[in-house]
Amino acid sequence: MPTTLEPVEVIEPDIDTVNSLDRPWIVLVWNDPVNLMSYVTYVFQKLFGYSLEKATELMLDVHEKGRAVVASGTREEAEMHVFRLHEHSLWATMEHDGSTS
Amino acid sequence: MARRSILGRKEFVPPIQAVDDGWRLNLDFEERSLLVRLMDELRALLTSTDDNPLLNRLFPTAYPDDEEKEAEYQRLMREELVASRLASINLVTSLLAPDAPAVFDEERTVAFMQSINAIRLVLGTLLGITDDESADAAQAAADAGTESPEHQLYDFLSWLLEWTVRSLSE
Repeated sequence: MPTTLEPVEVIEPDIDTVNSLDRPWIVLVWNDPVNLMSYVTYVFQKLFGYSLEKATELMLDVHEKGRAVVASGTREEAEMHVFRLHEHSLWATMEHDGSTS
Repeated sequence: MARRSILGRKEFVPPIQAVDDGWRLNLDFEERSLLVRLMDELRALLTSTDDNPLLNRLFPTAYPDDEEKEAEYQRLMREELVASRLASINLVTSLLAPDAPAVFDEERTVAFMQSINAIRLVLGTLLGITDDESADAAQAAADAGTESPEHQLYDFLSWLLEWTVRSLSE
């Protein structure tokens, strides 16, 4: 009968599997001085259903800090968000969560 | 933001406004013709086979940290983005036509908003407005009245976009 002191084999997940499955993707919008603040706020409300308050907060983050995380999800979801933001001429990119501080 | 002269007008009318059953444009013939020309130019840029740097901001990078994923993304999505932009431009051209209905729907208004902004981005690239510093310099030129014609056009489109967003937000 095994004792509690007997070593148990632990199967470590493959690092690449962890990276692609467990870490979500985040969508960032970067500041572009051409885009009007009102426009950016409107686009955030329209595309993500954010309240005026939340959208304004995100827009100000983009404006003052240079960029903001506007959404997260699977790779497919993030690509769709990026595409729709590009359709609105916003400078959007995506990356693994945790890649950027 | 440039202010349009209201001398001679009895009452200020916004260039675009939400009405009971949709949206309407209140632009004169010259302004409509100008916008039609701009749409034609943007369409020509988008359908050209040359890689014009003026379009850079209209086709941003999705994966700045991953060349392979970026190449894959652009391979799949670039043409779709071009098609989407062209569809918007065509909707705008049709609503600017002299025989177009006076009141149009939200889809057309959003297309108008997106296309006006796309032209602003191309002009912004042309004018070198790429960061806060150059944006401030551009504003200073506007305040001093030393703007180029392209810059005046950019300001007019900014004013128009501001009103379009406002009309959609009501």
